[in-house]
Amino acid sequence: MTAFGDIAQTTIDGVAAGALYALFALGFTMIFGVIRRANLAYGSSVMLGLYVATLAWMTFDISIVLCFAIASAVAIAAGLYVQMLCFPSRAADRQQPNDAHRLMVSVAASFAVWMQLEELATLNMPAHLYPFPALAGDAVIELVGLSIRSDALIVLVSALAVCAALYLTLYRTRFGLGIRATVDLPRAASVVGINVSGVFRKAFVIAAIVGTIGAFVACATAEQLTPKLGMWLTLKAMLAMMVGGLGSLRGAVVAGVALGVLEAHVQRHFGPQLRDASTYLVLFAVLAWRAWRPGAATQFGVGVLGGRGVR
Amino acid sequence: MTVVLSVRGLTAGYGKIQALKGVSLDVEEGGIACLLGPNGAGKTALMFALTGILKAQEGSVTLRGAEIKGLAPHHIVESGVALVPENRLVFPSMTVLENLRAGAYCRSGKGEIDADLAKMLSTFPRLQQRSQQLAGTLSGGEQQMLAVARAMMSRPKLLLMDEPSIGLAPLVVAEIFRIITQVSRQGVTIFLVEQNVHMALKIASHFYLMEQGKVIFSGDPKTAMEDDVIQRAYLGSSAAQHRQGA
Repeated sequence: MTAFGDIAQTTIDGVAAGALYALFALGFTMIFGVIRRANLAYGSSVMLGLYVATLAWMTFDISIVLCFAIASAVAIAAGLYVQMLCFPSRAADRQQPNDAHRLMVSVAASFAVWMQLEELATLNMPAHLYPFPALAGDAVIELVGLSIRSDALIVLVSALAVCAALYLTLYRTRFGLGIRATVDLPRAASVVGINVSGVFRKAFVIAAIVGTIGAFVACATAEQLTPKLGMWLTLKAMLAMMVGGLGSLRGAVVAGVALGVLEAHVQRHFGPQLRDASTYLVLFAVLAWRAWRPGAATQFGVGVLGGRGVR
Repeated sequence: MTVVLSVRGLTAGYGKIQALKGVSLDVEEGGIACLLGPNGAGKTALMFALTGILKAQEGSVTLRGAEIKGLAPHHIVESGVALVPENRLVFPSMTVLENLRAGAYCRSGKGEIDADLAKMLSTFPRLQQRSQQLAGTLSGGEQQMLAVARAMMSRPKLLLMDEPSIGLAPLVVAEIFRIITQVSRQGVTIFLVEQNVHMALKIASHFYLMEQGKVIFSGDPKTAMEDDVIQRAYLGSSAAQHRQGA
């Protein structure tokens, strides 16, 4: 393979991985945009859904479609449970007193629920690895000297479809108008008669579905499910969101894909140990750059947990 | 005259601070009722309590006889009360057009909404010019127009306005008051909170004085201008002098 072909092949692999990060980041950003708080229990609520789904699959040998339906339903239920417990709708109202305090309580509570959901899954299913239904097998598609696994193609297509669907929902529907208005200015959203707590719940439901699509495709590609999934998902989502600009859906997608490509190239040239380190290095650089920009420090410092900058 | 809004013994507060300590008042149909009072009297709290954004505790609020106290904010908008909030609160990163559409969020019927949208844009040519601009980039006066137009998009029976002239240049203030009388002539009842007492009393058909969470006086604006006590307490001595000079 030529040097160019090598770079192109690595990039393609990276885009496929990055498309997943983009999906995770989209779900995470959806919630962050509406409540302006990091939901640390995001990954574990999606993970719980996949655990239940694979348990059902192993026990009853159900179809992959039903498997996905179960995973989504459980993730939605877990997401709403997190919302009810950690992010009640009054928390969005920034005119409430003790706001910084409430913010910390919310985020810390979501950390506790993260642990709770993860324990719920791993105590009931304590093995380190569970099989997961495969999506498309290992068929490889060859195209002008480059090869792409068919399931990587499915990853890409589903990521694109989710992005498009999310975009159309947010910018072309009344429902999307309500979400964007709430993201922009929650108090004004109540003033014009948008049911802000309803928007809260909807954001968690959408995030659960988007996250489940991403995680489902990831597990189906690997054909296995591990207890690390929840943490992995939350971390990748947060990384992509923070690099992409807090709360920006477009930024989340771009940063997710970019991080995937970066990881693929670093792994190709420097080995897997440096792969994860490279993304954290990028995050560090982004944060340092933001912090050194005069006047932006406090804004972004708060921004990691809450704060503004939502588009 | 029929009463549109009737408030009896309304109490509400922020945390431990009791902002409303038993507010009672009636707003009559078709007029411009004006609520005056010093800072911290509870005027804004009353506006938020009437719209359900601040949770009301005791008392009652009826709109044309129907109880609306305790309803969620979106149900109150649906029942026909719209608020032009203090500091306008337009959606800054949404376009002017999207802001107006958000104002009609509680309504159904695409055709009617589009018709009202066109009507609003012809009523406010400035908004027409800037329809694709982000609301955060508008001037204060334009944002105020947008806030009024947005509230009108819900087709309210009662329009609450919280200090629409605050922070605006005198010429713009005159324009806003012209808009208020124009809206009033369309048959929408207006309940207005204002610091600009002179301008407010000029257009008001009725006024209330609020102090420390209670309505302590209510009357006709014409007699208020005559009344020496009110002159000194609420309109300032310079105002009294101004009147003597005139």
